[in-house]
Amino acid sequence: MIVNGVTIDDTFAEAFGMRGTRILITALNLKWAHHAARAVTGFATSVIGCGCEAGIERELSAEETPDGRPGVSVLLFAVSGKELAKQVERRVGQCVLTSPSSAVFSGLEGEPINLGRNLRFFGDGYQMSKMIGGRRYWRVPVMDGEFLCEETTGMVRAVGGGNFLVLASGQIEALAACEAAIAAMSKVPGAIAPFPGGVVRSGSKVGSRYKALTASTNDAFCPTLRGAVKTELTPEVGAVLEIVIDGLTDADVRNAMRAGIGAVCEVGAAGGVLRVSAGNYGGKLGQFHYPLREIMR
Amino acid sequence: MSGLRLTLRGTPPGSVDCSPLAPDLLAGKSRKDIEAIELQCGNRRLRVGELFAVEGDDPNTVAFRGGSARLLRIGAGMKSGSVTVEGECGDYLGFGMRGGAISIAGDAGAFAGSGMRAGRIEIRGNAGDFLGAALPGDRQGMRGGAIVVHGSAGDRAGDRMRRGLILIKGNAGSYCGARVLAGTILVAGEAGYAPGYGLKRGTLLLERAPRELLPTFRDSGVHSLLFLALLEKEMLREGGPFTAFLPLAGRVRRFCGDLATGGAGEILVRV
Repeated sequence: MIVNGVTIDDTFAEAFGMRGTRILITALNLKWAHHAARAVTGFATSVIGCGCEAGIERELSAEETPDGRPGVSVLLFAVSGKELAKQVERRVGQCVLTSPSSAVFSGLEGEPINLGRNLRFFGDGYQMSKMIGGRRYWRVPVMDGEFLCEETTGMVRAVGGGNFLVLASGQIEALAACEAAIAAMSKVPGAIAPFPGGVVRSGSKVGSRYKALTASTNDAFCPTLRGAVKTELTPEVGAVLEIVIDGLTDADVRNAMRAGIGAVCEVGAAGGVLRVSAGNYGGKLGQFHYPLREIMR
Repeated sequence: MSGLRLTLRGTPPGSVDCSPLAPDLLAGKSRKDIEAIELQCGNRRLRVGELFAVEGDDPNTVAFRGGSARLLRIGAGMKSGSVTVEGECGDYLGFGMRGGAISIAGDAGAFAGSGMRAGRIEIRGNAGDFLGAALPGDRQGMRGGAIVVHGSAGDRAGDRMRRGLILIKGNAGSYCGARVLAGTILVAGEAGYAPGYGLKRGTLLLERAPRELLPTFRDSGVHSLLFLALLEKEMLREGGPFTAFLPLAGRVRRFCGDLATGGAGEILVRV
């Protein structure tokens, strides 16, 4: 399959079942909502080393938030419900509670996990509960007034690890194509790309020659190793970048991949994009498969 | 199908316990069955048919036509459906109700909404004493749901209230919000003597500063509290009688107290 001069490989992305949640962070203005959201999604690129994968889903207008202030919607994913609950509580406690004027609310219906249930104890007995519209909120006194947080947020079964690889003539071309993909994907609800700027350059394979490591560099896609390893790259490929996608549902991941690959193809061969491929483990590890050609059909 | 209409034949000879006429208890019953239900009336029992002319056949909606202060425990313990009273009613309106909606065109007696856990009571007239309060000896009063009073409320509204929302468009009597454990009471008129006496937690939101505040309440200053915006949004969503109390959000002066009982509660006065 060739779209605008870009070859879409006959392969598939392999993704895994995860647990996901959405939280809504509001603040006095969008600037401070972003400060809190960026902090809460910091160091959350991969479950391998960060405990969870997280990203900003989109900005929210004042009309869309529970408290009528501007805000940001954040998605968080982890390998288990227990780990997700731990990460949400720790991150919200350190990054949202601490952020001036912030408040945090559940953005998803599902199995409840703690959001402010334990954070309330920061109030040292001065915290107050309010049941509004069947939901419990906590008012925790802080130095700029009150930190308002919902007691729980909803957790759902989600999908993590959807991906595609952009093979281009050079680093600049690959990055420009990926930026276009991320811009297109940011409009898709229910999905995030957790890596810095949404793009990852250190794609990995399972295993390593070093016993302590469970994953190591994806040598088959490293252009500098061409000739030294069994490569997947043709001579004209100068750089490969990957976009990893986590979504609340299978359809969200599919839609995000379609939007992203579509944007990459729009950049096309004229922009130095040569191929689009995907990472998988032979189809035996992940429950979710995303055949690139089927998605782009 | 039309809603069940119970038209009072005349002033009842004594106080009538109307709790067997809750919509969920009448489900599946024919008009004849309903007319045969015995109600406690003073020291004797009278059939529904003797007290009311019964019309309609959908017990999910029960309308009392012609109210009386002798009609007690209307909607007590009800779980679903709606009850309307085209007039006044007696004590214990919606006592211990678990869901559904009650609307009273006139005044309600004492202990309206006492022990209720969910649902909504709308009183278009005035409410008597102990609105949403605990019965003597009970540890908790209202435990959820919402009560809207378009007129004024008597003394000790919300006494020992545990959860829920009480909105009073008119004035509240003495000791409004006394011994409240949690929940929110809004008084759009004037609150009487010693609002928040013994308040443990919970919020009294007053449109006007009370003439006198107990010395066990201390001024915490003027603040913008985010939960009020949340409450306002929820009331907007609910619509109906709630919108009469809006807008809610804005700056309030916060008095924390009652310091004699821990001081974890608050009286908020709109500024």
